[in-house]
Amino acid sequence: MNVIVPKLKEVLFSVLPITAIVILLHFTLTPLETPQFVRFLIGAALIILGLTIFLIGVDIGITPIGNRMGSTIVKSNKIWVVVVAGLLLGFFISAAEPDLHILAEQVDAVSAGLITKTSIVLVVSLGIAVMLSLGMLRIVYDFPLYITLTILYGLILLLSFFTSKEFMAVAFDASGATTGALTVPFILALAIGVSRLKKNSKSSEKDSFGLVAIASTGAIVAVMAMSILSKTSKIAGALEQGRTDPSSILDPFVQTLPLITGEVALSLAPVLVLFLAFQFLWFKLSGAAVRKVLFGILFALIGLVLFLLGVNAGFMEVGVTVGYQLASRESHGYLILVAFALGMVTILAEPAVHVLTQQIEEVTSGYVRRIAVMATLAIAVAAAVALSIVRILVPEIQLWHYLLPGYLIAIGMSYFVPKLFVGIAFDSGGVASGPMTATFILAFTQGAAEAIDTADVLVDGFGVIAMVAMAPLIALQALGLIFRLKSKKGGVAGRGYAD
Amino acid sequence: MDTRIEQNSAELIVAIVNFGSGSKLTRAAKRHGIRGATVTLGRGTADSHLLEFFGLSDIRKEVVFMAAGKETALQALDALSREFEFHKPNHGIAFTTSLCGVVGTKSIPCKSLSGEREDEESMYHIITTIVEKGRAEDVIEAATKAGSKGGTIINARGSGIHETSKLFSMEIEPEKEIVLILSEAHATEAIVASIRGALKLDEAGNGIVYVQSANKTYGIYK
Repeated sequence: MNVIVPKLKEVLFSVLPITAIVILLHFTLTPLETPQFVRFLIGAALIILGLTIFLIGVDIGITPIGNRMGSTIVKSNKIWVVVVAGLLLGFFISAAEPDLHILAEQVDAVSAGLITKTSIVLVVSLGIAVMLSLGMLRIVYDFPLYITLTILYGLILLLSFFTSKEFMAVAFDASGATTGALTVPFILALAIGVSRLKKNSKSSEKDSFGLVAIASTGAIVAVMAMSILSKTSKIAGALEQGRTDPSSILDPFVQTLPLITGEVALSLAPVLVLFLAFQFLWFKLSGAAVRKVLFGILFALIGLVLFLLGVNAGFMEVGVTVGYQLASRESHGYLILVAFALGMVTILAEPAVHVLTQQIEEVTSGYVRRIAVMATLAIAVAAAVALSIVRILVPEIQLWHYLLPGYLIAIGMSYFVPKLFVGIAFDSGGVASGPMTATFILAFTQGAAEAIDTADVLVDGFGVIAMVAMAPLIALQALGLIFRLKSKKGGVAGRGYAD
Repeated sequence: MDTRIEQNSAELIVAIVNFGSGSKLTRAAKRHGIRGATVTLGRGTADSHLLEFFGLSDIRKEVVFMAAGKETALQALDALSREFEFHKPNHGIAFTTSLCGVVGTKSIPCKSLSGEREDEESMYHIITTIVEKGRAEDVIEAATKAGSKGGTIINARGSGIHETSKLFSMEIEPEKEIVLILSEAHATEAIVASIRGALKLDEAGNGIVYVQSANKTYGIYK
């Protein structure tokens, strides 16, 4: 009927599975304390409400801004404008990302002040800025995505020989952290704004994706380079985990609210400022259009605050408890099984996933359906979380035992998979490691790691994000192969994406 | 050979349904003898001032184009309209317009349209406006002022003979928006005039408007 009802329905269907599984666990394997359980239910309600409002805000605010900026920048037809605009956009947007600040604080704490918070934020933002610029240049000069990614991941592989194990984990996590709930929709929209100008509709379609992927490698390269240059190899200490008083139901919500509101407002500030600057200099939109965009930003703000409030105050603690209780059991079969199930349902509630799947539908005129991408992502993330739990259980398995072959396969596949899916797959890596995974799944694995003596909470915790970011690369490229086979079988001249 | 090839005039069915129903509609249409369909994404506008104020007026739609012989088309559309309940509000709309010839898997030649057509004076017109990207809302606004009930916007790309240009190494085509508006026949002239005035269509490069007559319409409610 109107805009709100279908969005609400879509969000309900994606948040209810995770709620159902936790309720099921509550009554069977891992009974939660009553206040915790009630908080979880309040959290679920907040997430449903918040995600709905946020997605509407992205639709009418963030996406149109990104689209228009992308088009406007490229229409200048001057290379320095593209480079400078890419640098500025990349730097300010990632510097304002709350997840990056949290990560930087953690690194600051565990490296005993050797690497300061400010330096991490600056270096990572700079890395993202450079890569965003490069990524936009790639689109306008028609340089193939798979070659770009091969070069970038080759560089990462090279750097990883000189980087310590702890910093590897931080580096991959940094890439997940900077591609947060706001950054991803914006960068996606930027790429679409640039590439939809293209006359060749096939290249316009495939170049709409891939910019998030390129930008997020910037974070990895930056952290690795910093670790090598500063010759810091040791990370000592442990993460402090803020625990709230479990007896009060509402306190955690009340305490978290101002903090989250500040963070979200900070991360939206550059988008707002840039929009106003572009509006006065170039866009010159009508009053009604500006009002629409401003309402969009406001909705994104309110929605994201409610969503994060629900996740942080309602879900995180439950994740730790469920993980801890399951890992304390005699047999670990249930733990792996639940990890698989949680991975599968958590990804559905990830905000950026909704944005990405909708963009895919729009760019391909509905040819690549949301449900296909969602289902593939769910299976991929489920496998990633389950494998991470196996790694925590078996100390012999190192993170790179998964990552190295995984990335080799992903890069290898990019040479013969339909090119549209290469972009989609590498973008969804950044998309999958959003706030929902970073809190709930991370909390779950950290809870499990706490209960298992051989596990290291810090290293194992970081690793799971890297896994969740990698698995979709392979799974979605596999989906691309299936799409190609199917369209061949149909005998319709149709839409072979191979070039 | 298919006996339906006898049908000498062709109809184009255009159905505008909520996002996600396009494929369902296509499948159903094939059951009723339609040979193929093309689906594209569009967005519609809701008729609510409150929602419009908050910028919430856009609704994602799917626009389905299907060409078929006249008999087949009308029968199929009738069945589809019952199945998808076009008569209820917000269940979508559909209309048909005459085609002059179809070439494809099944060719339908053009039959002289004069004479027999004129007696069925159509009640509705389809007003199609193609303008620069970003101006579709202005078109809808102008049309609404002149009595239209809303419209559907389709993103498109295209250019006149002299408009292709090059930025860096990508060839560029200007982005356009196509606005489909269904209007009652007596309001058409006013709507077209309003759009023409608001968008200054008489100046070169500002866009075009064309009007077709709709033979059959479903789902329009007053």
